[in-house]
Order: sequence, then C-alpha cells, then structure tokens
Amino acid sequence: MSEIVVAARDLTRDYRTGRSRVRALRGVSIAVPDGDFLAVTGPSGSGKSTLLHLLGGVDTPTSGEVVFLGRDLAGMSVEERAALRLEQVGLVFQRFHLLPMLTALENVELPLAAARVPRKLRRARAAAVLERVALADRLHHRPGELSGGQCQRVAIARALANEPALVLADEPTGELDRATSRQVLALFQSLNADGTTLVVATHDLELAAGAKRMIEVVDGRTIP
Amino acid sequence: MLALNSIREFRTRPLRTLLTLAGVAVTTAMLADMLMLGRGITRSFGELLESRGYELRLTPKGTLPFDTEATVPGFATLRDSVESVAGVERVAPVLAASVTVETSDDSGRSVEALALGMDSGDQGLYRLTEGETPRPGEVLTDADVRGSLGVEPGSAVRLRPAGATGAWGRRTTARVSGTGEFVFASRGDLQVVMRLDDLQALSSQEDRVSFAMIRIGEGFEPDSVRAAILARNDRVEIVTLAGISERLDARLSYFRQTALILATVSLVVATLLVGTLTAVSVSERLGLIAALRAVGLSRRRIVGGLAAESVVLCSIGGAIGVALSVVVAGYLESILSDFPGLPVAVRFFVVSADSLVTAFALLLVSGTVAGLIPALNATRLEVASMLHKEAP
Repeated sequence: MSEIVVAARDLTRDYRTGRSRVRALRGVSIAVPDGDFLAVTGPSGSGKSTLLHLLGGVDTPTSGEVVFLGRDLAGMSVEERAALRLEQVGLVFQRFHLLPMLTALENVELPLAAARVPRKLRRARAAAVLERVALADRLHHRPGELSGGQCQRVAIARALANEPALVLADEPTGELDRATSRQVLALFQSLNADGTTLVVATHDLELAAGAKRMIEVVDGRTIP
Repeated sequence: MLALNSIREFRTRPLRTLLTLAGVAVTTAMLADMLMLGRGITRSFGELLESRGYELRLTPKGTLPFDTEATVPGFATLRDSVESVAGVERVAPVLAASVTVETSDDSGRSVEALALGMDSGDQGLYRLTEGETPRPGEVLTDADVRGSLGVEPGSAVRLRPAGATGAWGRRTTARVSGTGEFVFASRGDLQVVMRLDDLQALSSQEDRVSFAMIRIGEGFEPDSVRAAILARNDRVEIVTLAGISERLDARLSYFRQTALILATVSLVVATLLVGTLTAVSVSERLGLIAALRAVGLSRRRIVGGLAAESVVLCSIGGAIGVALSVVVAGYLESILSDFPGLPVAVRFFVVSADSLVTAFALLLVSGTVAGLIPALNATRLEVASMLHKEAP
C-alpha cells in the first residue's frame, strides 16, 4: 500500500469578510497517496484553492487536521510550515509569480538557494529541472522574454527544484490557451509517471480528465 | 537572489529610481553640510589658535582677546609674576588700538586701522609676507592698508590715535617695514602692527596691554599652568585654547542649533522618501511576496531581499550626496566668508571625513529602517488571504 503524503480530516475553514463570516470549506476529508495525480474541480469560490492551501500548510484550518508525511501541521509554527513547504511541497500558481528580473535558471535556483544548496549544485540541479520541462534552451531568458506556457513550465520547474513529496498546482492552465494547456497536462502526466505526486485545482475539464482521479468541491464540500 | 531581482528592477523604473536617487543625494548633501557647519567654525578656529603656538591667553577679567577695549594696567609687574610661574616659557603681550594711518606726503590719503602693539619678532597674530618685522619707529601693514595708501616697504607714514584731529593728541611718523597677513582679521578689517612700546606711547596707554599670549614649556599641562598663574593674579582672566573654543562655541550656538534642525529635517525627508518608495514597491509586489512565502521562503529572506532595494538606493544616493556636499560646502563657504566679526581664516564648513561618514551612515541606517518597515509589514500579512486577493 502506498504511503499517504498528505491526509486531511474534517477540515473547515471560515473567513471573515467585514462583519460576516464565510465558511469556505465544510468538513472535507481527503487522503493523497504517494504517486497520486488528483484533480480538484468545482466552480469559482467553491473552496478548491482553500483546500490546496490547507493541504500545503499555506493556510491553517478553522477546525480539523492536516497530516503531512506523518506530521500534524497544527502543531507547527508559521516558519516551520514555511520550511516544510520549501523542502516537501512544490507550488504552482495561475499567474506563475516568477521574479521578473531573474532568468529562468535563477528563478528555479531561488528555492534551492533558500534551502542553502551550494551554488554549483543548485545551478546544476536547476538546469537539469529546466531541461526536464523542455526549457534547456531558455535558461537565460527572463519571464518577459518567454511565452505564457514557457513561464508556467519555469514555475513548474521551480516547484520541482527541491524534489518535493507533493506538487500543488492552483489553476495552472488558467492563463494559458488550449494548446499550451495540453502541453502542461502532458508535462504533469509525465512527471507523475516519474513518481511525482500532484494535486491540481482546475476549472479545465480536459486537464482534470487527464488526472488519475478527480474530486469535485461544491459549496465547500467534496463530491467524489 | 530576491535582492538581485529588486536591484535589477531599478532599470525597469528609471524615472522613479533617478528621482529617488536625486532626492536621497540632495538630502544627504544637506545633512553632511549641516554637520560640517555645526562643527566647522569651532574646529577651524581651534586649529587656527593652535597653529600660533601659544597655549594660554591672559585677558582683562571676563573678556576674550579682541573682545572689548578693556586693558590690563601695570603689565610690567604682572609679566614678572607670570614669567615666574613654572612652565611659562614665553609671554607675548599685545595692545590693540584704533589708529589713523596717513601718507607722509601731501596726498591726503589716510585709513583707519587696528594697530597691534607687539614685542619684537613676535608673529603670534600675523604672518610676514614681505620685508621685516617692525623695529622701534617702524610699522608693518596688511596688503589693504598698503594698497589704500600706495606705500611700499621703506615709505614713511604718519600715525595718530583714531579720532584725534588737528594738533590734539599724540602722533608719530613711522617707516613701513613690510607687509603681513593678519590671521585673526575679519574681511574688510585693516590692520597694522608696531612695537608695543611705540603703540603704548601713541595711544597714551603706557604699561597697559589688551591681552597676552603665553607659551608653555614641554611637559606642562595648560590647565595646571593656568591655575598656577591665577593663584598669583586674580585680577586677570587666563583662558586655555579649549576654553576660547568653548566660549566661541557657546556664542555660535545659533548656528549649531539651526544646523541641527536642518540636518534633522534632511534626515527625516530622506527617510520618508526611501520609506515611501519601498512601500509603493512592496505594495506593487504583494502577490509575488505571497507566492514566495507560499513557496517556503522565510520572512527574513524576503525582508532582506526587499530591504536591499533601500540599502542600494541609500548607498548610491548617499555616495552622490557626499560628493555633492563637498561642492555645496565650497559654494556656501564663499558666501559666508564675508560674515562680520569672524577671522577670515576661520571656515564655516570644514570638510572632514567624520562629518561625511556620519552623514552617510545616518542616511544608510535611517533609509534601511524606512525600507524594512513596509517589507516587514508585507511579510506579516496572511499568505492565503493575499493569494486569494491575487486570484483573477
């Protein structure tokens, strides 16, 4: 039986908006085993991103628990969770969030530098990861010199740099055209085939259909 | 690497960067100049006093040299008493009196000047530039007196106490022995020097002096010699060079206070400038900051990266400002050198490494702190909330 990378039990998450309180998640339970490729779908505002943030320790639940590789995130400080994300979680965003004045190589080096990987080693590892996402010929290009699909591949390479146990992608194809979205799906499938565990929140049904399994989040509840 | 990105981003906003650098440079220059102004007069006056080689000044009670027209009577006896104090190497008396100097021919040219009566060969108050020090019956003039009267070394001039007209009062004829620079003269002052005996006789102030300079032997402390002189003579004031500087400093406290206020304003303006720029820059990148926090970068790393922006701005702007301050100080000095009542040799702005380094360091520290605050605030925000706000 595969090891569980992350498991969430009975998660709720409330947000305050002005004087009112909004419940974004209502008792969600989920387990992501090693090697999984899970698509989380649902309409806007349904709680997909919130679920991803809770699974990755970016956010903390109002109630319930998240256990990541056997560690309960509730007992960890903000900086401890940041350190866990740096080493064990790769995050991919809809808007890429690359540093605009750094090259593709430097952007991928960033989490490696933060993890204190020696300069030579991190440069070699960043180059290898960029090669893995088919950007070996764009190492020294800045985000402004790359297409949307290439930027997202740099962001995926950045997420993979520290060889994380889990990659969380929030609407990774939201800013991409159909053809480029397919390339990203193919890349995710390829990474998954190589053993990378992925959870992808998406509106893109084609992307979701390409995952190993899918859950839908509606009004803060999961529909298997 | 975050710092590298921040610094490279300057090139994407050239106008904003240049304006900020200009603002930081101007305020640093003002800060450095105000620090120089605050310290310059006292420092340069102290250096001027020390350069003349006399450690103590003897003056009438409650006065400073050139401060009033008061004189010390019975100086011959007083001099014997002072010279007998252990550590006193030389006593150089000075009598100052206003005189009218006129040509000996019938040209009718005359000037009012301050005459200094001094012992033979004593150059504590002037530097000989041409000719010789005055002997009995001789007078040494400054270049302005010489130019106004059209006299040369060897020419004869007539002297009388200022205000004495017609046949009233004493008068004398003296030979011009040479020309000198009077180091304690203000701009526009006309000065001559003659033998002490001659000036005492001319001004009817026999055995009186305005003040005396006292040189101390090696190994003696000015304060202890001062105390020993005062123990024997309580009718005079003995002032050390440090004491003179302190009194001058007290009189110029207006300058120092003004300089301090302007320096503080400069620092505050620079701090606000850098703080505002960093705050704008940080607010433009909240989404990116949230993403980097989500990726797992520590607060310290992100704050360091963002603060690097203000450090670089302050370093470059500050360096330009320091160079600018030297230029501005030179210009302001040329304006203020006409300030009445202060010796020409005293400088308002003394360019010194410690003033420049202090200004640069103050700017760097305050600018960095100003940059840190918005960076710290940004990293305190909830990452998930910021990412939600960023979502389209």
